[in-house]
Amino acid sequence: MPEAEAIRLAQQGDAEAFERLYRLHNRRVYSLCLRMVGNTAEAEDLTQEAFLQLFRKISTFRGESAFSTWLHRLSVNVVLMRLRKKSAAETSLEEVTEPDEDSGGPRRDFGAPDLRLSGSIDRLNLQRAVDQLPPGYKSVFVLHDVQGYEHNEIAEIMGCSIGNSKSQLHKARMRLRELLHEALRQQARDERKAAGNAIGGKD
Amino acid sequence: MATISCKVFPNYLEFGLEGQRHPDAQAHLRDCPRCRALLEDLTSIQASAKDWGAAEVEPPAHLWTSLRTQLVEEGLIRDEQLAPQRRQKWFQGWFVLPRPILAVAYLAALIGVAFALSGPVNERINRQRWLDGLQSSTTPVRDHLARVEQNTTLSPLLDSNPTVTASLHDNLAIVDNHIALCEKSVREEPENELARDYLFDAYREKADLLAQLSDRGGYGR
Repeated sequence: MPEAEAIRLAQQGDAEAFERLYRLHNRRVYSLCLRMVGNTAEAEDLTQEAFLQLFRKISTFRGESAFSTWLHRLSVNVVLMRLRKKSAAETSLEEVTEPDEDSGGPRRDFGAPDLRLSGSIDRLNLQRAVDQLPPGYKSVFVLHDVQGYEHNEIAEIMGCSIGNSKSQLHKARMRLRELLHEALRQQARDERKAAGNAIGGKD
Repeated sequence: MATISCKVFPNYLEFGLEGQRHPDAQAHLRDCPRCRALLEDLTSIQASAKDWGAAEVEPPAHLWTSLRTQLVEEGLIRDEQLAPQRRQKWFQGWFVLPRPILAVAYLAALIGVAFALSGPVNERINRQRWLDGLQSSTTPVRDHLARVEQNTTLSPLLDSNPTVTASLHDNLAIVDNHIALCEKSVREEPENELARDYLFDAYREKADLLAQLSDRGGYGR
């Protein structure tokens, strides 16, 4: 059943059409949720919530935008809502992300020249770092760099300008660089400590 | 000498890591190892993210079950709409009400068989008499069905589902073979009630198939 037909039938309450639409998009929505929250149980919960909202509102879909864009906008909003609720009681990550905004430029901590990320970023490190991004940065980074959306699509999904999307992405990458460098430094400290302990143990 | 400072350089990356870079940024990049390291790191992050995103993750199978339960609870879909509806759709596909002209073919086939098998006076087949061995000729029934089959043509343009139609034709061929076998049995053993009973059912089955074929877009010639 083609997507357009499934949408039309789902708008009439056809159960098979609902399932068809779910099967067509579940992987992409689930992957997005998983990368945004980094937790399978929460990602499942968010995926279900996103599809529930989709099916509740499907009769209002008029085809002005692509169905996938509509669904992903809805999914991103579901995830952002959850992330905002979670982070409401925490320290504003925006402050951490943009400490030098007042002084007119991004943080100048480029890390030591001898410390390179190239070849050292595995998925776990990246997921950990992404988990620490503020919701807005995280959304744009996951949508653009991970999920492969273009800035114009992100602008439509997030309801912002293309320039804003580009700016958020740049800040997200800069923040990720700091976080990944910090993880590398921590790893180096842990290794030195372990080596010291091993030497001490031998003595 | 570089025309921009390290503090300003990252701003030039905001509008993309690849592609044509501003000459000032390019000049700065040539002279500044720290900013080259920055660009290299950001490119690595971008590449790692792309690699990460290449593998879409399949959600667990129970997610749809859970979602469907929720949809049923909210009344967005009805539980009985699932499996029973499929059966109903299949049923409806075979027995939808015919259009007037097709109804004639449908009724002609059914009434023709029934009439042929029930007319005791004018030598038509009466099933009971036939079963009793009083009338063993099946020629009128066979001839009548042959006429209905000949008059039933299927227009490809009107056929909404050629796969089902092809399946009906296959079934018709199977029933014809079955009829041939039953007729042979009846000829060999005219008194065998079971053989006659099978033949009677085979004729009825063929009449049904012809009616369905007519209903799928055929017309009487």
